[in-house]
Amino acid sequence: MPQSPTYNPALSGNPQSATARAYPNGNPDLGFNPPGARNTDSAVPLHRKGPVVHEYSCEGPAAGNLAFRWTYGSNIAAKNRDPRVQVVQYNEDTFVLRQNVCVHWEAPFTYLLFGNKGALLIDSGATANADHYPLRKTVDAIIARWGQARGRSRVPLTVALTSGEDIAQNQGLVQFAGRPDTVIVPKPLGAMKGFYGLAGSWPAGRGTIDLGDRLIEVIPTPGTHKDGVTFYDPYCDFLFTGDLLFPGKINIGNDRDFVASLERLKSFVAERPVKWILGGHIEMMFVPGKYYARFATYKPYERLLEMEPALIDEAIKYGREVQGKDMMLIRPDFVLFNGVSPDQRTQVWPEGVPNINAPRPF
Amino acid sequence: MDRRTFLAYNALAAVPLSGAGLASFANSASAATGGAPIDFKSNLPAPGNFPPKWICGSSSCMDNTDPPVQVHWYNPHTAILRQNKAYSYEAPFAPLYFGNDRVLLLDEGFVQLRNDWDLRGVVDQCIEEWCRRNDRDPASLELLVAFSHLHADHYAAVNQFADRPNTRYMGLTHEEMVGFWGMTNFPEERVTLDLGGREILIWGSPGHVVSEFAYYDTYTQILYTGDMFYRGRCYISFWQPWFDSMKRLIDFCDTHPVTHVMGCHVEISNTGEDYAYGMTWQPDEAPVEMTVAQLREAFEYAKTITEPGIYFTGTVFLCNQTRGTTTIDKNPYRYS
Repeated sequence: MPQSPTYNPALSGNPQSATARAYPNGNPDLGFNPPGARNTDSAVPLHRKGPVVHEYSCEGPAAGNLAFRWTYGSNIAAKNRDPRVQVVQYNEDTFVLRQNVCVHWEAPFTYLLFGNKGALLIDSGATANADHYPLRKTVDAIIARWGQARGRSRVPLTVALTSGEDIAQNQGLVQFAGRPDTVIVPKPLGAMKGFYGLAGSWPAGRGTIDLGDRLIEVIPTPGTHKDGVTFYDPYCDFLFTGDLLFPGKINIGNDRDFVASLERLKSFVAERPVKWILGGHIEMMFVPGKYYARFATYKPYERLLEMEPALIDEAIKYGREVQGKDMMLIRPDFVLFNGVSPDQRTQVWPEGVPNINAPRPF
Repeated sequence: MDRRTFLAYNALAAVPLSGAGLASFANSASAATGGAPIDFKSNLPAPGNFPPKWICGSSSCMDNTDPPVQVHWYNPHTAILRQNKAYSYEAPFAPLYFGNDRVLLLDEGFVQLRNDWDLRGVVDQCIEEWCRRNDRDPASLELLVAFSHLHADHYAAVNQFADRPNTRYMGLTHEEMVGFWGMTNFPEERVTLDLGGREILIWGSPGHVVSEFAYYDTYTQILYTGDMFYRGRCYISFWQPWFDSMKRLIDFCDTHPVTHVMGCHVEISNTGEDYAYGMTWQPDEAPVEMTVAQLREAFEYAKTITEPGIYFTGTVFLCNQTRGTTTIDKNPYRYS
């Protein structure tokens, strides 16, 4: 965004300006009628003639905002009373769901995307028990409300996983068993490849999931999991990378695959616009290079979920550095673990990165 | 009163220098409190039992319905507290020893604020319960709050007791800890703490940290070994001091009857599976108590250790200078 010489937010008199968004009260230079408005469905019509056909083609990423802080557990996990599933709408057709840290420490993110012909749920959370983690109920309710708003009585759902073997993401799948009008991408590697039409080409090639004018691309990205895939949403320009690249402790399953998959993502990003990379978890703190311990149920200083696409280059560079070695390596936005215990520690601190110790809960 | 006399000082015996004089400790105690004094010196070891299973967290922490701390009466004069894993993954154990004049709380659980969970309230409840059973006035009992070693999961609740009457607790430095037990020759020196007929033997046990004690209760004959030896990952920061401390424990067992060896945590399953550092659910947890044979076995094993690393003795993991949270865990998703 070009800086306006005529409007200095720091001088705006708004106390938020110095610390928060650059334009807390809007940037008048951007105009009052941005093109992205046509990607929003009006609530004005009283009686619709038929289902709304949403406009999913847009210049640049569709408008949207992750405007809220994630729930982050509590010091006494047993006393936590936050929602079990936190729902954050990114825009009308894109939802981010987070599992409560005090239900499961992995606190995975689950994404729900809508198109004109159906919805896609990416990942399914770390807990099977619907009383503890009512993902299905929450998803059903979001779909029902969305369907009413769009005048659609039928919204077929596809459930796909960034990794079928990852128990931090596949446990909620059982809740969707037997759900009408639902396709569940099979978990076993072979069947999953077949489903996406990648049986012959894996790990090259790309699959697609057509949500109706919103064509989600499926990129094979083994590396942390042997069945890892990344989803690309051309509407919001997001890459959903699951465990491959996320702000946390990346446990590499196979270092050659890991680097090769990141290379594949890099060339993908070169040909498609990518606004953010959204991973499956957050484990980093918002001080650089620091992360929460495994099983932590209280993470008050989490890093943001979203990652800039430039981080792929960094991940490749340092993925190569750990390749063939049993070691961990700290970077400001992620930590690589190759061939070592997920609880490995190191004394090596990355050069040029400020070493800040966040206060502890006690 | 200097620290050494404090250890042997018997508050109640000192008060009523009546006609009977110091005829017997038992008489003076009963005069002051009403209830008959309890004999902690005959028919030893006092029988007692551990629960078949402790509370051990749950798959979803926020759905945990157990109390913040489990209070188990090992016998009528000995309670053992265990924190709920959903309140802190450390979930340490904390014995509470009752004597005729004093109560000793060893370790506190990983909690700071009373509104998180009220350790002091739980301790007060135990004391009231014991006093009711034994016809005593809770106000007449002095509470000693001590901890096995200088780590926060063992001392975090100390400030809950700052405004409790008739209470003394350890400071949070090595100097204050050693001084609290009146020691001038840590770790070799063994002191005797008199709770009023019930004696606790205390000596230094450095190795996991510098500031650590071993506690032996002459009544139940439980040897409380803190974090230097417990059913899980014994993080050995300093090998030689730890090995020497083990030797002291073995020597002690050679000369004293020991019913159980008890540590502060359990991090291992009945089948020997490691519960990784930080886990909040240990569904098949091993018992906290160990036998002297298991201690000896571990010591024999330790004699063969010459390198830093993680060793399994059959009972415990000896994590020799592996630092903090290193576990035996592997990434389950590795493939070639």
